[in-house]
Amino acid sequence: MTLIKLERVTKDYRLGRTAVHALRGIDLSFARGEFAALWGPSGSGKSSLLNLIGLVDVPTSGELFLDGRNTAGLDDGERADLRNRQIGIVFQSFNLISVLTALENVMLPLTLAGTSSAVARRAALLRLGQVGLEAQANQRPDQLSGGQRQRVAIARALVTDPLVVIADEPTANLDAATGHQIIELMRSLNRSQSVTFVFSTHDPRLLDAVDRLIRLSDGVIVDKKEAAA
Amino acid sequence: MILLTIALRSVWKNRRRSLATLLSIAVGFTAINLFSGYIQDTYTGLRLTAIHYEGLGHVTLAKPGFFERGGVNPAKYIFSRDELQRLRRLVEEQPEVKLTTPSLGVSGLVSNGKISTIFLADGEEPESAAQLRALPSMDRTWQQDSLDPRQPSGGLVSSGLAALLGVEAGGAATLLSTTLDGQTNALDLDVLGTWDTGTSATNDKLLRLPLEYVQRLLDTEGASRLVVLLRDDASADAFRDRLQPILKQAGIEAEIRTWEELSVFYRQVKNLFDLIFLFLFSIVFIVVLMGIVNTLTMSVMERVREIGTLRAIGMRRSGVLRLFALEGGVLGLLGCLVGVVLTLLIGSIINGSQLSYTPPSSSSPVPLAVMILPMQMLTLVGLLSVVSMLAACVPARRAAQLEVVDALGHV
Ligand SMILES: Nc1ncnc2c1ncn2[C@@H]1O[C@H](COP(=O)(O)OP(=O)(O)OP(=O)(O)O)[C@@H](O)[C@H]1O
Ligand SMILES: [Mg+2]
Repeated sequence: MTLIKLERVTKDYRLGRTAVHALRGIDLSFARGEFAALWGPSGSGKSSLLNLIGLVDVPTSGELFLDGRNTAGLDDGERADLRNRQIGIVFQSFNLISVLTALENVMLPLTLAGTSSAVARRAALLRLGQVGLEAQANQRPDQLSGGQRQRVAIARALVTDPLVVIADEPTANLDAATGHQIIELMRSLNRSQSVTFVFSTHDPRLLDAVDRLIRLSDGVIVDKKEAAA
Repeated sequence: MILLTIALRSVWKNRRRSLATLLSIAVGFTAINLFSGYIQDTYTGLRLTAIHYEGLGHVTLAKPGFFERGGVNPAKYIFSRDELQRLRRLVEEQPEVKLTTPSLGVSGLVSNGKISTIFLADGEEPESAAQLRALPSMDRTWQQDSLDPRQPSGGLVSSGLAALLGVEAGGAATLLSTTLDGQTNALDLDVLGTWDTGTSATNDKLLRLPLEYVQRLLDTEGASRLVVLLRDDASADAFRDRLQPILKQAGIEAEIRTWEELSVFYRQVKNLFDLIFLFLFSIVFIVVLMGIVNTLTMSVMERVREIGTLRAIGMRRSGVLRLFALEGGVLGLLGCLVGVVLTLLIGSIINGSQLSYTPPSSSSPVPLAVMILPMQMLTLVGLLSVVSMLAACVPARRAAQLEVVDALGHV
């Protein structure tokens, strides 16, 4: 079943008088439970593409369907609500809210959606357990290591049971071993809970783990490799 | 709720900067409260002075035109004895009225045998005037001699005038004036005592005389004014408005003035203080406004990535706006609460230290005190908190306007 579908999507950025064509006609779709990586050299358009999928940015042209629904013409508030309920985002530099504890950070998407705090707390504790950080629930981000912070971020991305979790170079700010553990964690969550992951990476060592590798170059897809699951 | 948590903790996280803003709000808040506490205390003092010490009562009734032209042609504006009796009975029937006392003004020359100088005097009924001049509350006291009903020729001399004439209690003087018919008339006066009028402009002119004495001097049986003292809680304005039609119905021609209308000094002081208050309030208002805008602008600039993150996980623009507005409100509220503590502290120090000072155009020192006004403080807490919140909306709007990608890309 197609979860996300992109049709002839382009993205231009204006730089002064010139336009940068970051994406030049992307046709792509993802099914539920996929574990896919975007790979390509710097400037190839990985972040631009993930931002579009995550509804953080809007395409210059082309269409993006989320769970069969065309996202064109949604207003800012509707996009925010969709990000809240259907998208989980994991950032390169974790982006936890520094004044909130790990638990409160994980609860946050539910709290924003108006979920009662008791329900949000239960769901958040469950997710923290899944990333192995129950014991750190009441610590602030600055008391956690980089790997732990990224685990909290993953728990936060998962807490609303989103359609897809996007992660732009989630391991770039982590050492190799920790980065590997994070990928392993995402992989196992993908297997056990069939969470759909789309992430980007520079690191060739991480590519062994993925089902599907999408190679980008200069804003176009150059190679789609389907690995054996 | 989560917004409040983030707002409170962010204020705490930047506590150095927050403290600076907070203290400037607190100091402004305290300045406003102490100053208005001081002027309210002064107003109360001036009101009691006007009503009781100067004997203006709450309202004064006189013949139409008396207040404007009574000085030029006094004979024309005198209530005859019968008119006065009728008027007095009617006014005393009103439930708000505590007492009435008639009065008759006179001016002329006072002489000690060697030198003469001009005087202004009010003739008053010794018993009712003494009641009018007695103070209703215990927290303010003043010493004031009264006339003696057994001494029909005994009067009180203002201290400046007494010094000028070189007379004191037990002494004597002669008053020279013109009767209402235009005959020159002179009467001897026994000086019963002296008093301070409280105002340098009148302290060398005023006399207080028995009504009958002035009636003899002017050769009349009437009085020019009826002074009315109301019960403590009654409003002079309301009473005036209510009394006007009653008088009309009874066919009595009389004009009514409240003490506030008659006391030029009170109005001058009040206008000046109200202006200073407005000035002070505006300054504090601007300080609060700028402090909040400045603090939150910095806060927004430092937290662009946090704003991007919040938006990326689903906070709407309105949520961002509310978050920073709330932060401004929290700063304002905390500043005011510190201000409440400061006000109570400094206020009780001032009130406890028994300081006194001589205000301009006053002839004697008065105690320096500030009133603590809980309702006003509470209103000000609310007002400044709301102002802080609104001021915060300026930077908050900028935060809300950020595009998510741009905010996230910001390092
Ligand atoms: N906000 C922007 N304004 C202008 N140009 C931009 C902007 N964001 C990206 N670009 C340009 O768009 C192209 C694609 O950028 P993008 O960040 O998507 O690549 P990337 O594959 O994520 O690169 P990296 O591996 O370095 O993260 C690049 O040429 C980049 O310079
Ligand atoms: Mg990138």
